[in-house]
Amino acid sequence: MHLTDDDIIRSISAHSPEGIEALYDRYGGLAHTVALRILADRGAAEDVVQESFLAVWRRGSTFQPGRGSLRSWVCTIVRNRAIDRLRGDLHRTRLDTPIEGQTIEPAVTDPWAAVALELSGEEVRKALAELPLEQRQTIELAYYGGYSQSEIATKMEVPLGTVKGRVRIALDKLRASLADRLEAPWQTQ
Amino acid sequence: MADAVNCDEAQDLLALDAVGALEPAERAQMEHHTATCPTCAPLAAQYVDVASLMSAALEPVPPPARLRRNLMAQVYAEASAAAPNPWWRRLVAAIPASRGITVLGVAAVAAAVILGFWGVAGGRSASTPITYVVSGSTSQPLVTGSVTLDSARTEAVLTVHGLAPLPASQVYEVWLIPAHGTPTGVAFLTSDPAGNAWTAVVNGSLDRFETIAATNEPVGGSPGPTGSQVLSGHLGSS
Repeated sequence: MHLTDDDIIRSISAHSPEGIEALYDRYGGLAHTVALRILADRGAAEDVVQESFLAVWRRGSTFQPGRGSLRSWVCTIVRNRAIDRLRGDLHRTRLDTPIEGQTIEPAVTDPWAAVALELSGEEVRKALAELPLEQRQTIELAYYGGYSQSEIATKMEVPLGTVKGRVRIALDKLRASLADRLEAPWQTQ
Repeated sequence: MADAVNCDEAQDLLALDAVGALEPAERAQMEHHTATCPTCAPLAAQYVDVASLMSAALEPVPPPARLRRNLMAQVYAEASAAAPNPWWRRLVAAIPASRGITVLGVAAVAAAVILGFWGVAGGRSASTPITYVVSGSTSQPLVTGSVTLDSARTEAVLTVHGLAPLPASQVYEVWLIPAHGTPTGVAFLTSDPAGNAWTAVVNGSLDRFETIAATNEPVGGSPGPTGSQVLSGHLGSS
């Protein structure tokens, strides 16, 4: 039986183990990929994923539909825990995104994305590739590197206002590129 | 109170927050503005969704199977411990201790065959296996059977009749349940070619367990009982 995200949310809210199971089956692969990208350590990534899903189980669902999709909620939980762990590690293994010469990894078959996501990885990669390099690097430093805007400004040797502008413009461009294919199509401003 | 920001400034902050780069000092300004602005409030969710989509560009790295197994084992263990009166606790409480030792000819013989004729030749000391009744649940009331333990309570043979056939995606998993604690999955029932008799052999000490039961589970079993209980029986005491 196919469960919708709403079914999963209801199940988790009812403190049902089946809800966590369904959530993991749908987004566990994504969570692991994000954690591994940030931490570059399989053991640490597995710990973070397990801690994240256990936290959802123990605290019940704090998901708020008006604050984004279930997918982005899981991503945020895992991403935040991974960044916390990255910052807390005594021996930092943070992946420093090179400022120069960043390339996008070649696409591979993405079976879980086809199920869990409304968009293929190829479409997102294309949209990211269309961003100017400095905009893409800025949002990746923030999202995967856990850098604050001040740290990014220092690293990229640009004013704080420039960092703010790059992040917003990058997200606005991605929003415009992908809006017609997302779960909740928006009116682009 | 935080300095007020306009929509343009607030949207900068929302974008920063969506990628995790917002400074703590600016969070109050952002939240104060979005709490009352009908334009910026929905934008917050949009930016969060867009930012999370960046992960779709990553090459997927599937997690190892043990991650799911360990996670669900923990979840089910906590769920069982927290349940005020899970079905298997009600079961242990409901089965009268006096409903115990019964010798069932056919089943006892079958068990003895499987267990190698305890107490007969082979240099083994005389010991009599003990057989207990198992009965069907409300979901499968026609189920009958027995479980036969060796005298040392280190092996058991469960023999059951009347079980409904299962789809290929499911199995009947056998559980041993202590007086206090969580059920332990120990075996799967397998049927004869005609599907008339189902049997499971359990190895290992049965001393601390009071009840044997079975549920239908996905193929491969589950860390804890998730499906309907189909049968149960009291194991007596060691």
